[in-house]
Amino acid sequence: MNARAINFTLNGEPVSTAIEPHRNLVELLQRFDLFGARESCGQGLCGCCTVLVDGKAVSGCLYFAVWVDGKSVTTVEALDADGQLSPVQQAFIDAGAFQCGYCTPGFILMSHQLLKEHPNPSDDDIRHYLSGNLCRCAAYPEIIEAVKMAAKATA
Amino acid sequence: MTPFEMVEPTSLKEAVSLLDPQEPTIRPVAGGTALMLMMKAGVFQPTRLVCLHKIEPEHARIAVVDGGALRIGAMATLSQLEHDANVAKHQPVLARAMRTLSNVRVRNVARVGGALAHGDPHMDLPPVLTALGARISISGPKQNREMLLEELYSGYYETVLEKNELITAVTVPPLSGRKAAYVKVTSRTADDWPSLGVAVSFALKDGTIRDPMVVVSAATEKVTRMRTAEQTLQGAAPDDATLRRAGDAAAEEVESLSDAHGSAPYKRELLRVYLRRAVRQALDENA
Repeated sequence: MNARAINFTLNGEPVSTAIEPHRNLVELLQRFDLFGARESCGQGLCGCCTVLVDGKAVSGCLYFAVWVDGKSVTTVEALDADGQLSPVQQAFIDAGAFQCGYCTPGFILMSHQLLKEHPNPSDDDIRHYLSGNLCRCAAYPEIIEAVKMAAKATA
Repeated sequence: MTPFEMVEPTSLKEAVSLLDPQEPTIRPVAGGTALMLMMKAGVFQPTRLVCLHKIEPEHARIAVVDGGALRIGAMATLSQLEHDANVAKHQPVLARAMRTLSNVRVRNVARVGGALAHGDPHMDLPPVLTALGARISISGPKQNREMLLEELYSGYYETVLEKNELITAVTVPPLSGRKAAYVKVTSRTADDWPSLGVAVSFALKDGTIRDPMVVVSAATEKVTRMRTAEQTLQGAAPDDATLRRAGDAAAEEVESLSDAHGSAPYKRELLRVYLRRAVRQALDENA
């Protein structure tokens, strides 16, 4: 019922679709076969559903899908679109900053945002910025290390 | 979430006209981060949401007006408050409070007006802005009105707003040398909803506290001033004995509620201690 036509930019490509107002951004992305953003806690607390809208991180599970109309949406899948892992992705591998990997797309997108705002972050900057991302395998020390490695790699 | 209609007015007047004073299933939505939680939990099933994004630009500005007062448009995001140079300069306590309010993603989306109008006693902005003596501007179908933020809350998730009224801005008077602080306690994780929030502001004259405001949230059904604690602080030097008396007075007068973040007696004891810490923090950080 009452699906609405929306046009937006998805990972650099203009796209169009129709979606109902009660759907969230994660549900919208699934229709484009993008599964990097996952709805996990559903309350904006865990960060697994992190998506960038007009360059800003949002919780996809708490963002109405129709609100991306006219906006630019970036998901974790865009980071290696040129066949090359981003420095943050590479650093997560090098530091072993995950076990099961479920939270990793969210951590990686948030780390990209973090490094944009704090190119040379302290441990405190990292802990604070990523406090809204949960890793149930508790790979936090390695995640912090990975962010610092990525900061060095992009300096 | 269940299906509903979403309308996107392009003016404040149109937004107000799309609301209905008699219909609780029609509500405005700003950032939606709090409303969506209610919708996902099934406690709110809208028939229509009046989305305010298309009237955003003119109501999202933060500016200094009237000799140092800070006027914050209701559609400003919490991230704007966090990073705005005027907020940092004129009301540093507000910028500091943002650092521990939820997380980066929620602050990027949640709006100031929504955080005030939602009436959730666990939110941080209501107690901080109340302690700063903030006023809110409200638009309705017939007239606009203003009130102290302190007068907005009437109960648990309840405000005195009509269902077809919208908060358009909040105005924070200049500190004029007053000291202010906000402390909160989270009992599970660092970024969880708080068990207790305490905001204080006061003037210091000849080494004694004048015109104190002590505002409690999260532990109570709504944002509440602790009048007895304020009377205890009034005219006294902020030494250990005074702060202990004020903490005891607040613990005595608070009507705390039990919830997932702590029992009523636990929150009472938190207040006894954290009121002292809030006053000390205000003295330290604005020295």
